[in-house]
Amino acid sequence: MDKAYILEHGILEQYLLGELTADEQLQVEHVLNIDADLRTEFDTLEANFEKMAFENAINPPKAVKMNLMQNIKASQSKIIPLQKSNPLKIYLYAASGIAACLLVGAFWMYTQLNNTNKQLQIVTEQNELLLKDIDGLMNDLEYTSQYFNIVNSPDTEQYILTGNDLAPNAKVVSYVNHKNKSVIINTKELTQLDADHDYQMWADVEGEMINMGVIDKEKQLLAMNYIDNAESLNITIEPAGGNDHPTVSRLVTNVYLQ
Amino acid sequence: MQDDKALILKLQNKDEAALSQLYDNYSPALYGIIIRICKDEQHAQNLLQDTFMTIWDKAHQYNPEKGKFYTWAYRIAKNKTLNHLRQIKSLIQTEDLSVYTNKEDSITVEPEYLQLNGCLKQLDQHHQKAIELVYFKGLTHREAHKEMDVPLGTFKSYIKQAVKKLQLSYDKTVVWVLIFIELIK
Repeated sequence: MDKAYILEHGILEQYLLGELTADEQLQVEHVLNIDADLRTEFDTLEANFEKMAFENAINPPKAVKMNLMQNIKASQSKIIPLQKSNPLKIYLYAASGIAACLLVGAFWMYTQLNNTNKQLQIVTEQNELLLKDIDGLMNDLEYTSQYFNIVNSPDTEQYILTGNDLAPNAKVVSYVNHKNKSVIINTKELTQLDADHDYQMWADVEGEMINMGVIDKEKQLLAMNYIDNAESLNITIEPAGGNDHPTVSRLVTNVYLQ
Repeated sequence: MQDDKALILKLQNKDEAALSQLYDNYSPALYGIIIRICKDEQHAQNLLQDTFMTIWDKAHQYNPEKGKFYTWAYRIAKNKTLNHLRQIKSLIQTEDLSVYTNKEDSITVEPEYLQLNGCLKQLDQHHQKAIELVYFKGLTHREAHKEMDVPLGTFKSYIKQAVKKLQLSYDKTVVWVLIFIELIK
């Protein structure tokens, strides 16, 4: 295949259009490489065909390009991750991540549980204390109501024991109810004693002093033993804890019952 | 349109932006060829996309010393389209699907849409026809001369003369453009 043959038989055109066999193509390419004139001829032919194509161009819809670029991206991203990463590794990473999260979560919940338990314990303790307080207050209330009932009863008579020379400022108010057989005294204005001594109350029955009880230092209002047929009420200073017989020399106050 | 060497080098290095740019430059010209051969818009769009997928995959096979990028891309587009038409034809023959028998007549594109433009229109009717058959219909010289009912030698001379006339008219256009540019200056 030489230059004359190529020009005469329109081989360049057929080469351009891709109509030649592989063997013929190689021959044409060989001649084009060595013959500058033929090369120029072919270049012009190519340029003209291209111009013609651009003059007859038709714009394709934009969707075609979008699809194309998406396909290209998909084919790119398909290759890279498959080469670089092992799916088992990804699962292991994911599993260890989840395990770590669970561990942290469990620890956090354990701490929370401990805190809650501590708070619950504190609340329970406080609750017990409050219950005790309420219990105490109820008792007090009951006690006070009882006293109040006695003191307020129309059958109750009031006697005031004023201090003698041994206790000039002392004053004890006693409430005696013969019907209920109860005695209540108010010791608010009784002089404080040291730890080794206590006040003790006695009832005089036909010349004999009968024990009514030791006066509690802590209480202001307290019930004493009611003694039948008492003629007078007497208070003496006795050794701590009380005495079997009154120490008459240390009588601080007395009052006759009418 | 001149071959952009830098752009093609980037394409050969798998640069998506380069593909995008080349698509913008060449897809209308290639789509013009594909749709005139297959005459079906949906198939033509698929074939165009397929052509550029091949351009992307086989970019390393393109050798600028052998010819222009457009010529290389044109051959890919034409071969894909002709293969597609052959597949449809063999499907009709083997499956005897009567639905497809009228395929050649059932053109889905308006004929005006496919009319040829530019300097080609200044050619004589038979020259224009010859160019259209081999270039825009994808026929080989041997098929085309039968289609035109002239001997192969005559057909080849038609093509030669047509190309010469095209050359002249393009040169004229260039001269006019140059004069125009001079005037503006």
